[in-house]
Amino acid sequence: MSAAQKLAVPLASRVAALPAAPDTESPAVVQATVASAAAQAMNAGHTHYTDRPGILPLRQHVVETLGATNGIEISADEVTITCGAVEGRFVALKQLVKAGSKVLAASADSLIAAPAELIGAGFTISAGEEGISLLYLTPADDPQQRDALLQQAAANGWWVIWDMSVSGSSSAFHPAQHPALAKKTITLGEVSELSGWRVGWMAGSEAANKLRAFKQSMTICTTSVSQWAALGLKGSQS
Amino acid sequence: MTVPNSSVPEEVRAVASDGTRLRYALMELSAQYKDAIALGRGDPDLATPAHIVEAINRAIRDNQTGLSPVIGMNVLRDAIAQKLREENGVPAERENVIVTTGGQEGLFLIMQALLNPGDEVLVPDPRYTSYDEAIQSAGGKIVLIPTDHEDAFNLRPEAIEEAITPATKAVLIISPGNPTSGIVTEDRLRAIAEIAIKRNLIVISDEIYEKFLYDGWKHFSIGSLPGMAERTITLNGFSKSYAMTGFRVGYVAAPANFIEAMAKVKAVTTGPAATISQWGGLAALQGPQEPVQEFHRIYTERRALMIDGLTRMGLNYSDPRGAFFLWTNSSSTGIHATELAYLLLKEAQVLIFPGNAFGEKWGGYLRISILQSTDLLREALTRMEPIISRYRAT
Repeated sequence: MSAAQKLAVPLASRVAALPAAPDTESPAVVQATVASAAAQAMNAGHTHYTDRPGILPLRQHVVETLGATNGIEISADEVTITCGAVEGRFVALKQLVKAGSKVLAASADSLIAAPAELIGAGFTISAGEEGISLLYLTPADDPQQRDALLQQAAANGWWVIWDMSVSGSSSAFHPAQHPALAKKTITLGEVSELSGWRVGWMAGSEAANKLRAFKQSMTICTTSVSQWAALGLKGSQS
Repeated sequence: MTVPNSSVPEEVRAVASDGTRLRYALMELSAQYKDAIALGRGDPDLATPAHIVEAINRAIRDNQTGLSPVIGMNVLRDAIAQKLREENGVPAERENVIVTTGGQEGLFLIMQALLNPGDEVLVPDPRYTSYDEAIQSAGGKIVLIPTDHEDAFNLRPEAIEEAITPATKAVLIISPGNPTSGIVTEDRLRAIAEIAIKRNLIVISDEIYEKFLYDGWKHFSIGSLPGMAERTITLNGFSKSYAMTGFRVGYVAAPANFIEAMAKVKAVTTGPAATISQWGGLAALQGPQEPVQEFHRIYTERRALMIDGLTRMGLNYSDPRGAFFLWTNSSSTGIHATELAYLLLKEAQVLIFPGNAFGEKWGGYLRISILQSTDLLREALTRMEPIISRYRAT
């Protein structure tokens, strides 16, 4: 019997519009503190499931970073460690945007367009369209345009994703500094120096528990050793 | 059996009808008890084999930790395909394999790539309720297939045939199964394959517990049968077999166009599995298999100990032909499994999941895992006995 090339029934229609999966690899140089943290974690037996939200010291590090850099006050209970920022993007969309409603972004090549397609939501860069329920922004977006869009988000009760995994300005700005958006903003990040280790995070908002539960249903938790390695990276930076 | 008025805390009672939330609520509650013995979660307590840890450390030392292709490292996909051909008789090449971020993600991706809203999936009852979440997340509908204690929770082909409608797209098989530890025997799998071919259905075969069968039972992969290659999606992983749940690495084998579709979904939902975990998976497949044999010996010993203990308490259980669980009939205690599980936690500090965490009609069962040392299992049995006796006597 030979290996099959085609499934006997049609695939889900949602797949057709998605782009092909990247098949590229990236090189890496592992810092000594990261290698050491990973080895120590394995020696200590941290090779099993972690707590559902992720290991507490890493979540606390996210809290401290957001507090120190952006003046945002959240608790570690509002942070979930994800399999890279891509998981945070999808989890937030899937839980907060209904099929048929729209996601607004500042640029057409936004990373949010494909996951929006997957959940059956519309994607637009025109803030005047009807049916928008979520605004996706990154630090790379133009500050003037960003501020105007956030005013609309506050006025219309939209959710906001602030994706810090996309590099841009290093200013202290954060959408959750706006009182009307503090509980409506989900912050996403990623340990970009360790891309192959797949560690990201999502933080804040009144939907934090709901997002955490859905992440758990998808992947249970994020790779344990990767989480400890990310803490090792923190050690090297300090 | 409904949850009666009781001392069960509101945070548990409120989620009693949602299997996944109920399990997590009990785990969070158990964290309050310093000496709790966890017989709940299916997370092997045994150490990940040393050669797997060493392979990962070597990959890290060699800087082999960069981002992999979303579909997985080719060297691992080749090794998985070889394993499937040689161990399972499943025809597979590299293009038939995707590496996933654990078996649970594999299930999620399968449903996203397979189901359109309204498509029905036949699922054995009782079941691990994460199947529900994956199916519902894709807009699919779960149709439960009854299984029985008297039949050791084997799947009956005629029950499948009776449940098929024009909307049925797939049937899910979990063998060995969670929570029952039952298996779908080869004769039944052959009959189910005939139905799948005749009715043009897809079979999703979850084989995550394939390494752990007992009493001479043998694992059989339905994807190895003639005519099934184009309609079988095989789900497996390294978490249970090699005690590496925290690495989050599994795989799915299926026709190539379906694997490509899963990769498209994976690219926008989680990205590739962690590269270190993939090196670990490769070492698991290509390294010595003695650790798995040792795990099997340990689980066999624990299983016998738990069977003895439950029998002494007067509880009966379904024949555990595989996996790590004792699916135990607790109806003779006269109290609902949620309440009994809470009492066992509160008074005995033993965490056990109630049967209704695996389907609402199973409030007369407990799922007891054997994933603790024999000393702790003995201690758990000693603590449980007075509580079980108290209720069985009244």
